[in-house]
Amino acid sequence: MDPFLYLDRDTFVHRLDPRTKMFLLVGAFVLAFLFLNPLYGLVVLAAVLAFGALARSLSNLGRIRFILVAIALVTTALWCIFASGETPLFLFVELEALLYGIGVALRISTTIIAGMIFLSTTRNEEITTGLVKLGIPYRFAFAVSTALRLVPAVATTGATIGQAQRSRGLDLDEGGVLERVRKRVPLLIPVFVSTIRSTNIFSMALESKGFGASPTRSYFLHLEMTRRDAIVLVVVALLLAVALYLRFAGYGGLEGVTR
Amino acid sequence: MVFRLFFGCGEGDDIAEPAISIRGLAYRYRGQEKPALDGVDLDVAEGEFVVVMGPSGAGKSTLCTTLNGLVPHFFRGRIDGEVEIRGRSTRDGKVGEFAREVGLVFQDFEAQLFSTNVALEVAFGPENFSVERGEMKRRVEGVLGRVRLEGFEGRQPATLSGGQKQRLAIASVLAIEPRILCLDEPTTDLDPVGKLGVFEIASELKERDDVTLIVVEHETEETLEADRIVILREGRVVTDRPAREVLRDVELLQESRIMPLGVARFFHEMGLWQGQLPLTPAEGLREFRQRGWQIDAGRHRELVAEDAEREEGYGEALIEVEGLSHRYPNGVVALEGVDLAVRRGEFLAVLGQNGSGKTTLVKHFNGLLEPTEGSVRVEGKTTTEQGIRTLGQTVGYVFQNPDHQIFSDTVSDEVAFGPKIRGLEEAEVEERVKEALAAVGLTGYEEEDPFGLTKGERQRVAVASVLAVRPEVLILDEPTTGLDYAEQRSMMDLVRRLNESGSTIIVVTHTMWVVAEYAHRAAVVRDGRVVLSGVVREVFAEEERLRDASLRPPHIVSLGNALGHTVLSVDEMLRVAGKGER
Amino acid sequence: MKEIFTMWRHTQMVVLVALTAAIYAATLIPTQFLPIIPGFTNIRPANVFPFVFGLLFGPAGAWGSAIGNLINDFFGTLGPGSIGGFIGNFFLGFLPYKMWGAFFRRGEDMEPNLSSGKKVVVFIAITVLASAVCAVWIAWLNDFLGLLPFAALASVITLNNLLAGVVLGPILLLVLYPRVKRWGLLWTEIMVPDEVPAAGAAFLGNVLVWAGGIGGLIVGLVLGLGFYDQGLAAAGFATGAAGLALGLIMIPFLALIVIGSLMLGGREQVEAAEEDAGHSRVR
Repeated sequence: MDPFLYLDRDTFVHRLDPRTKMFLLVGAFVLAFLFLNPLYGLVVLAAVLAFGALARSLSNLGRIRFILVAIALVTTALWCIFASGETPLFLFVELEALLYGIGVALRISTTIIAGMIFLSTTRNEEITTGLVKLGIPYRFAFAVSTALRLVPAVATTGATIGQAQRSRGLDLDEGGVLERVRKRVPLLIPVFVSTIRSTNIFSMALESKGFGASPTRSYFLHLEMTRRDAIVLVVVALLLAVALYLRFAGYGGLEGVTR
Repeated sequence: MVFRLFFGCGEGDDIAEPAISIRGLAYRYRGQEKPALDGVDLDVAEGEFVVVMGPSGAGKSTLCTTLNGLVPHFFRGRIDGEVEIRGRSTRDGKVGEFAREVGLVFQDFEAQLFSTNVALEVAFGPENFSVERGEMKRRVEGVLGRVRLEGFEGRQPATLSGGQKQRLAIASVLAIEPRILCLDEPTTDLDPVGKLGVFEIASELKERDDVTLIVVEHETEETLEADRIVILREGRVVTDRPAREVLRDVELLQESRIMPLGVARFFHEMGLWQGQLPLTPAEGLREFRQRGWQIDAGRHRELVAEDAEREEGYGEALIEVEGLSHRYPNGVVALEGVDLAVRRGEFLAVLGQNGSGKTTLVKHFNGLLEPTEGSVRVEGKTTTEQGIRTLGQTVGYVFQNPDHQIFSDTVSDEVAFGPKIRGLEEAEVEERVKEALAAVGLTGYEEEDPFGLTKGERQRVAVASVLAVRPEVLILDEPTTGLDYAEQRSMMDLVRRLNESGSTIIVVTHTMWVVAEYAHRAAVVRDGRVVLSGVVREVFAEEERLRDASLRPPHIVSLGNALGHTVLSVDEMLRVAGKGER
Repeated sequence: MKEIFTMWRHTQMVVLVALTAAIYAATLIPTQFLPIIPGFTNIRPANVFPFVFGLLFGPAGAWGSAIGNLINDFFGTLGPGSIGGFIGNFFLGFLPYKMWGAFFRRGEDMEPNLSSGKKVVVFIAITVLASAVCAVWIAWLNDFLGLLPFAALASVITLNNLLAGVVLGPILLLVLYPRVKRWGLLWTEIMVPDEVPAAGAAFLGNVLVWAGGIGGLIVGLVLGLGFYDQGLAAAGFATGAAGLALGLIMIPFLALIVIGSLMLGGREQVEAAEEDAGHSRVR
């Protein structure tokens, strides 16, 4: 199974510069956080979903649907308990608290979906190159991209080791949760040990290819802001400005709730 | 020359100055008693091709890492003596600076690929040296061409075959355009044809671009192209002579725990003096004919008869594979329509190139994989109905990488894991551990930390831990990879003893001499199908068809084939060859 | 704290960041399906890694934990809350090695194994503290952003960390320590003394971090659970104002944690490792 969300499709969103997409992501976060009123929240969510459809990335929703539904229910329930308002609804729950809970649930769902669209349309190396271009130190970006690349490798090693131990008689699927976790411990140790063991050879190979040889570095991947990027940036900036104006003009808030 | 590999070579260079000059080099790793290198002197001239050989632990890899300054800069440890690269001491600069001069490709090619696609991988080195983008593009293109990976630019390195990965590792170093290239056991994990590919590239580099080549290798058949062979033992240079001279010195190689060339050894045993020894099958054939020697057809028939007799001694079919197909969840068809039977007492080798499906096939035998179509029966019952836990009693599986199954703090705990988890009593477990450790020759290692052992010893621990369950069938996946000649021999002698004491053995491998000398039967897998199977002698007679499957029999077998009679080892050749007096 | 920047000079440390992050993420991801507060936190046995990797790999373990947690977010729940997760997990890996040195005198055996009773006690104490600090950071940010109430998140994260660390930590440390040492991968062996600050006021730093972490957790829980009814928030604020108040009250505690960390050293540990090795490196 490919654990990554990236979808190799050819859409205009995919073709955007990763820096533009990062700006879009932050923009979506800001929009989601501006409005607590569930009605406004729904509009933001709808906009993000529409954008996702444009990027042909909504198929990944299936993979996170469980988390999304759970988040929506839990956040709403929690805020019903922890927040209070003025209009009693049932038991100790007030209308404002319920609305607040729904608003927050929408807020979180929206940001997670925006994050999903970003990851569905941007390759790992684009993210890291984009980060470097935005001023993040190269070595940090290198560590992030290497870690991203190694996650499936570690998982694969884990699967191989699982096979090895199962063929020695370890039955992983028997017993309760604790029992199963305990059985997985011997299985995991070789994964950690063999992964950590490769540190030295990995580091030597890096230095042998000139890692850190010179203070500056050139990049093979070329990032370029095109007109397309400029248009998108302007549109998003305008959208944000309008939203900010609306919010400060008093729209989209939620009155009468305290936490 | 359309593609110029190096800058600044040519005019004004001091011809007399060696590319590499090592004087009195000694090195001890931190916390180690024994020095890894102990007084090495070595000069390598510009454009030379030097092969370094020697048993495990001789200091070969350490020597490689001294060439670009990883020793002493990367590791803490004690260094004496001097390494000069084109006149400059490695003490005087960073690893990065020497990386430009000396390209180092490590044995473990998995651990040296960092990027998400092939082009980026090759560009990684030049990026570090701030090579300008246009130039970088040109280099990526050129270098991928020379390692024959054109058209792979966008592929993920993880999806390449072993041979392709190794060629990519070489390409990624070549892109830095070093004048010296050092390859540490570049072919260990490759099938015979993959090995050839790597050496072809190496020879081309030397011919066309005058690259100085240092290659660590343990298989003699791959070293014929070298100018010189240097043999290391216990951190010292014991031999440093022209390659063909060393290869003819059969006794020296044997003393140094290096497998001599089959053809050379045969003629040596036949009494030829050193200077006359032919090295390759072609040279051997000429010599054999010139001397008017004959193969004694009668004796050869005896060999064939012995094979047949052994065949009859097997018991009933233990594993029966019928119409087996396997499709991975991603849709890749790994096996298609495989039929095969393994009888009690057999010693079967499953052969095939990297990625042919041979490991997928044997993983069906103990239920690690289930057939997509067809069936696999073990002792009459299908693997699906038995399940992996029950099957584990009958079929033991030793994985390729011992580090993937070892997790205990001591050797005896490791070996006891299988019996314990099957609920055996303490006394019984102890008995089994003792027996299994004795079988693999590790008695006395009970309290050792498995992670502190050598690769060969860890491999034995892995075998012991499977033996302790006392399975009927023992499957070993590439049991000789990463071991030196002596370790390979002792590993396979162990396997042979187990077979003789009643275990049915299945070995997955592409080390051809191991198959020739140890296995009884062979099944050749190619693109998910068994294309050839039978008694090893019959299979190895089909050189053409083996080559189609990227396999190549050992030299001595080729010589026999050329003479019209398949022999499987030098000893067999000696048995059937006559000097023609009779 | 300069070692968290100087460590990037060492290729091995960079690689350790990547490897620990990969291991952490790869073991976190499968447990995403064992939620406690769905979308925010789940049963996380993998939380043992920051403690152990932090102790063994020092700043590389801290960065690795932060990045590993971020990558885990990449597989489903990337959002503004990820920033809190990044910082919280950073401290989860940062405090173990940083606090460790503050409990041992110069010349005392301070190798990060569990070879004495004192070391076991120190390990557990540090696990408690780091768990709380991590929880305070994450819960503070989430509350501040109005995503989840402080009390619910902080208590769950603290317990979750603590359980993984105390139950699995010693096992993992016992397995990994001898091997990591053999391969020369302890952070004290890779880094050199100049790159690590000497302890300015280790004792005071130690006290401040405790005050910030445990104090912050307790005050946050009390506020979150007890006082929200009383309308602690100034009435004039719009929604989320109460959260803002809690957010502001927590800031001094967070500051204590950072200031305390600045006073802690680390160089002693590196020097001890160097003396232990007998001879210095050729560099």
